[in-house]
Amino acid sequence: MSVAQDAGTKAGRAPPRARRGIGAALSALFGRAGGAEAPTAGRSRLVGYLFLSPWLVGFVCLTAGPIVASMYFSLTDFNLFSKPVFVGFSNYHRLLFEDPRYRTALGVTLTYVFTSVPLKLTFALLVAMLLNRALAGIGVYRAIYYLPSLLGGSVAVAVMWRKIFAYDGVVNDVLLWFGVDGPSWISNPDYALSTIVMLAVWQFGSPAMIFLAGLKQIPRELYDAASIDGAGAWQQFWRVTLPLLTPIILFNLVMQMIGAFQAFTPSFVISNGTGGPDDSTLFYTLYLYEEGFSHFRMGYASAMAWVLVGIIGTATAVTFITSRYWVHYGDQ
Amino acid sequence: MGMISRRGVLAGGLGGALSLAMPAVLRAQGKQRIRYAGFVQSDGELKTLLASLNAYMAKHPEVEIVAEMTNFGSFIDKLATETSGGNAPDMFSCNVDITDEYSRRGVLRPLTAYVPQPMDLTDYAQGAVKAATVNGQLFAFPNDAIGPALVCRSDAFKKAGITMSNQMWTWEQLAKAATDITKANGPRYWGLEDSGSNYIPCELFMRGRGKTLFTPDRQIGFTRDDMAEWFAYWDRLRKSGGCPPADIQASVNGSDITTFLVSLGRAGMTAALTDKFAGMQALVSNSDLFLQMLPNGFDGGPMKQTHFVYAGNSTGLTAKSPHADRMVDIVRFTQKDPEGSRLRYMGSGMIPCSRATRELVGAQGTDVDRKIIAYVEVLQKEQAAPRSPGVVGMSNMLRRMNEAVAFGRLKAQDASAQFIEEAEKRLKS
Repeated sequence: MSVAQDAGTKAGRAPPRARRGIGAALSALFGRAGGAEAPTAGRSRLVGYLFLSPWLVGFVCLTAGPIVASMYFSLTDFNLFSKPVFVGFSNYHRLLFEDPRYRTALGVTLTYVFTSVPLKLTFALLVAMLLNRALAGIGVYRAIYYLPSLLGGSVAVAVMWRKIFAYDGVVNDVLLWFGVDGPSWISNPDYALSTIVMLAVWQFGSPAMIFLAGLKQIPRELYDAASIDGAGAWQQFWRVTLPLLTPIILFNLVMQMIGAFQAFTPSFVISNGTGGPDDSTLFYTLYLYEEGFSHFRMGYASAMAWVLVGIIGTATAVTFITSRYWVHYGDQ
Repeated sequence: MGMISRRGVLAGGLGGALSLAMPAVLRAQGKQRIRYAGFVQSDGELKTLLASLNAYMAKHPEVEIVAEMTNFGSFIDKLATETSGGNAPDMFSCNVDITDEYSRRGVLRPLTAYVPQPMDLTDYAQGAVKAATVNGQLFAFPNDAIGPALVCRSDAFKKAGITMSNQMWTWEQLAKAATDITKANGPRYWGLEDSGSNYIPCELFMRGRGKTLFTPDRQIGFTRDDMAEWFAYWDRLRKSGGCPPADIQASVNGSDITTFLVSLGRAGMTAALTDKFAGMQALVSNSDLFLQMLPNGFDGGPMKQTHFVYAGNSTGLTAKSPHADRMVDIVRFTQKDPEGSRLRYMGSGMIPCSRATRELVGAQGTDVDRKIIAYVEVLQKEQAAPRSPGVVGMSNMLRRMNEAVAFGRLKAQDASAQFIEEAEKRLKS
């Protein structure tokens, strides 16, 4: 931007060229340009709307509409069959102060988020560093390591996980070779959540690929300089790799954290949709689903959804605010 | 890549519009399109149901029946979602709880006007008809006749030297038999699956104590001590080895017979409704299964028949559907027509609610069919009243409380108090 344009912006006026551009766009969209409108402009606006309409209709009907509706339902007693009855904030009051299962679900979910996300990111970084080496056929290795991520969120993999960790599953068969009679990992409240955390960690492919892209952006010269200064492998990782990778870590952390708060499928499949045993895998979204679709308390479920939005928003905001203390950008 | 022409876009749009308009096209052709949603207990039941519906459509080319069948757990959620979205199926499967809930909500059509013509229910199991009646109005036509039972493995009983004769017995005798079977059948094998999470045997347990789970006027029919004793009974069985440990039992999905320990050859008995029997026998190839009554009382107390016969699967019609007469005719065809009912029931594992159809299946069916019919006949001789509908989510509540006791998080008395508190809240809502 030139100095003149900059001055114009600061004075609160759009630069002439930009103003023409915005004015033209507004004119095309809302037809508020001064003067008479050429017939071709009206036609082209109509065509624009026509092409925009599939997305616009989808957004209004399938996204914005349900969001607004769920906000309203969260303030009602709504059982799916009768008309919603407005009850103010009583759903929110009940879930925050009167529902012990809600607190259980929140506790399970927070435990899952705070264990699965750091473990997954650590594992993903380790794998990315292994895949960053110049080896013959490295592309094949990368594809193989990414495969679990492609499969990981599916019901089929959760079913497979169930088979592996069941009482008569593969894990216990292997343990039996060593004379150990293992527990039923998925149906014992002491271990059930751990198996779901392990399933999440196994889905490391996506963050690993992003880490790999970040590792490739770090200039080789920095390692050479560190090596000349006497830095060993650990020092190079701690002083060069990790600081320069922090923007990528931030991105992965936020994305994985949001995903972990919304986790549903593994718990639903592994616990047969119950959140058991003894509510040990009762994820927030599973409890929400149960309240809405099994107990027909759609108003209460909507309130739960909005509290989850608040929790995820707060966690994301805290992550971004604290990032100024630990994220290092190259130009800083 | 070539550009998409305007003509191509128009053709695509027209195609999409046509597919959306298919129901209207069917109407224009004079075809009635009827959505029939429901739950089935086995592949056999699905096949026979589809065969009978196809036979009906062959006889009535003007009708298209779209069958939307799934298992019970998925069906409940799907039905609720579709109904609330104004997209309820025209006709759908009901059990006693669905019939109660959906009739009170005004979703189901009253069917009393169709009795006795064209639907004569005189020879139906009257417990089933009664269970499908709410406030004096019939709301569903019963498809089958089922009753509570213990599904037992012959090999396990033989090894333990126990013979059963379908006579009444006590809950204490059941506990002893379970422990004996565990001892006789070796490690990692248990006499009886933990049924503390199952409200059907729980209902019989309460009846044995002179109570019920719920009363006909939608009240709790038992005390805190009654339910505490129920949880304690299973806790004692776990500790004596008659039942599997909590973590083994927690791997069983109550609506999936393939996960039952009896099906897997890891337990000798499980409490179930008779409509699961045929599917379980199909899974168990190395032993005959047989049906045995659950206990009817306690040591030193009176013995009174507590079992009931009712329909596990009835068909209800949506009040807003414009095809009521046609749907009643479809039900009549599958339940009473000689050809339709033969296709519907032979090999399905379902025992028809109509005695005439039941005798047909008994004469031409398999040994498994005959075992179920014989058991249902025993119950029918002196049957108790069908259970009253409970509250939404009751099964889940009972499972959670039983698991909490099993894993040592709650004492039986506390689990009972919590169950009652949650049930009372739901009764009020």
